[in-house]
Amino acid sequence: MNITLKYFSWIRVKLKKSHDLIEFNQTISFKELKNNLISKDAIYQEIFEDKSVKFFLNLKEIDDENQTLNNGDILAFLPPVTGG
Amino acid sequence: MIKITNESFDLETELKNVSSDTNGAYSFFLGTVRSDLSSSNKKIKGIYLECYEELALVQLKKIRSKALNNWKLNECLIIHRIGKLDLGEKIVLVITASSHRANAIKACEFVIDSLKVDVAFWKFHLLDNDEKETVLQKNLDNVKMLKWKDIIN
Repeated sequence: MNITLKYFSWIRVKLKKSHDLIEFNQTISFKELKNNLISKDAIYQEIFEDKSVKFFLNLKEIDDENQTLNNGDILAFLPPVTGG
Repeated sequence: MIKITNESFDLETELKNVSSDTNGAYSFFLGTVRSDLSSSNKKIKGIYLECYEELALVQLKKIRSKALNNWKLNECLIIHRIGKLDLGEKIVLVITASSHRANAIKACEFVIDSLKVDVAFWKFHLLDNDEKETVLQKNLDNVKMLKWKDIIN
């Protein structure tokens, strides 16, 4: 299954990319994805440890780390917003 | 009406878009790019606005709906620019229209306060040599938003 990751603001700058498409052989939870990303790149450790960063799955904020991710899902990484 | 655009807008045209003879009051908020200093005390040349457009539209619709319902507005217009903006350029416009001024003024303040902390836009300062600096959220904006919690469900 495929999951699209979208990065914004300082996260996009730090990772030097605006998105990723990642593949998994089976369904995983948000927590498992988090651990997977941290094991690949230490930058993700900093991102996930920052309590001000919010994660939106298909435009809805994630409030449970055990939430399951499905094929075609879009997970966005959002630092605190600064519009207006 | 809600619009996210990389083009400028005309105030008179936008006022016409929400005008009606049922309105007795309009309240406006116009945000512009001000001359500012970066964290390293360099003068900024402008700003760059990034947006997660699909999410921002959903969030703006919720804010607009709350404003319309809580203050019985006849209309609420929100326009937000994205992309590169020079000093002095327009960033955001909110127009609220109602029968009486108190509701229009309160609702307009609520919309811009909400937009500052709840909508997927991010500012960068533009510096010399094409350098960009991330603008950090101000705690004051979050504090301002707290006052609406008892008023808005």
